[in-house]
Amino acid sequence: MTALKRSFDLGLVLCRTCGLAVSRASLGMDLSCPRCRGRVAHRTPLSTEMTLAWLIAGIVFYIPANLLPVMHTSGLLGDADSTILGGILEFWHSGDWDIALLIFVASVAVPFTKFIAIGLLLLTVRKNSRWQQHQRTVLYRIVEFIGYWSMLDVIVVALTSALMQFQVLGTAEPRPGIAFFCAVVVATMLSALSFDPRLIWDQRV
Amino acid sequence: MNPILICRDCDTVYRAIPLRRGDVALCRRCDAVLARYFGSNVDTGLALVCAAAIFFVIANLTPILSIDIAGIETRANIWFAVRSLEHGWISVAALGLAFTTFLIPALQIALLFWVLMFARIGHRPPGFAPIMKLLHRTRPWSMTEVFLLGALVAIVKLANWVPITAGPGIWAIAALTAVLALLGRCDPESWWSIAPAVKV
Repeated sequence: MTALKRSFDLGLVLCRTCGLAVSRASLGMDLSCPRCRGRVAHRTPLSTEMTLAWLIAGIVFYIPANLLPVMHTSGLLGDADSTILGGILEFWHSGDWDIALLIFVASVAVPFTKFIAIGLLLLTVRKNSRWQQHQRTVLYRIVEFIGYWSMLDVIVVALTSALMQFQVLGTAEPRPGIAFFCAVVVATMLSALSFDPRLIWDQRV
Repeated sequence: MNPILICRDCDTVYRAIPLRRGDVALCRRCDAVLARYFGSNVDTGLALVCAAAIFFVIANLTPILSIDIAGIETRANIWFAVRSLEHGWISVAALGLAFTTFLIPALQIALLFWVLMFARIGHRPPGFAPIMKLLHRTRPWSMTEVFLLGALVAIVKLANWVPITAGPGIWAIAALTAVLALLGRCDPESWWSIAPAVKV
C-alpha cells in the first residue's frame, strides 16, 4: 500500500464547488477554478470563525425557541399557548409515545447534539488534536446529515395553522417560538456548512 | 473523467480508476465517498427530472391534507402552510419554509431540466457554470422529505380532534422525495462531466 498523499504535498488544490483537482501552479491571480470559476482555496477561509459564530447564534436562538410558545389554539375548550416541550408532553400523555419521541428527537435532541458535536469538532481542531480523526470525520458527516430534520416542527405548526383557520371546532395560529426555531435550524446548518472537515486531518508538526 | 480525485473530507489525493455499475469509491483514510458509478446517463437524469416536475406540480395542485366538518372542507398544501405562517414578524419563518419546501425544490428541478435538455441535444447549456454552482449551493436547503414527515405528524396530531384525511398530494410528495433522492445520488459533481462531452 502506497502512502496516502494529501493535496498540498502534490501541488494540488480541490475546488469544493465542482470537485475538480486544480494544480496550484495553474491558478491565476484571482484564484478561480478553471472549470466553474468558483473561488479555490487550500482550506475554506475563516472556517472555524464562521462555524463558531453561527454556532453561538444557534445556541442563542435555541433558548427562546424552547421557552416561547410556538402555537396558539383557541376553541370550545378555551385558549391555550403551547411550547415545543408542551406539545411533546401532550403526545406522551395521550398515548402517542412514538410521535412524542419523533418530535423530541427532531426538535430537542438533534439541535442539542449538533451544538455538542460542532463544539467538540471546533475544540479538537483548535487543539491540533490527533485523537480519533476518523471518528470525528464521521461525526461531522452525521451533523451534516441530521441538520435539516429539525425543520419538522415548523412544518407541523404551519400545516396545523393552515388547516385550523376558520374552523368551528377551533383555530390555531403560529407564535414567535416557531420563528426562533426556524432560525436555530438555519444557524446550525450554516455552522455545519462553514466547517471545513479537512482541518481535522491537519496537524502542525 | 477526472484523472485525479481529492477527498472532500480529508484532502487525500487519488488517481481515479474506471468504475463499473454499482461501484462506489471510498477514501482509504476517512471512508468518504469519492465517486460513484455514473453511467453518463443524461437520459436517465432527464427522465427523473421530468418525473420530479410532474410530481411537484401534482403535489402543489392537489390537497395534501384536508379536514371536512359539516360539509365544509379545508385543504392544505405546501403553499397554504407557508401562508399560514404569515403573522407579523413570524413571517420570517414563512420565508424559511417557502424557500426550503417550495422555491428551492422548484428551482433545482427547473435548472436540472435546463442543463440536461441542452446536454441531450449536444449543446453546452447557456449559463452552465453559474447554474451548476447554484445547484451546488442550494442542495443542502431542499427539505421535501422533511415536509413529508411533517404532514404525517400533522395527521396524527389532528386525528384525535378533527376528521382529517390525506389527499393525493401526500402521495405526490412521497414520490417527489424518492425521485429527488435518486437524482441526489447522481451527485452534482458528476454532472460537470457532461460539459466536456458536449460542444462548447
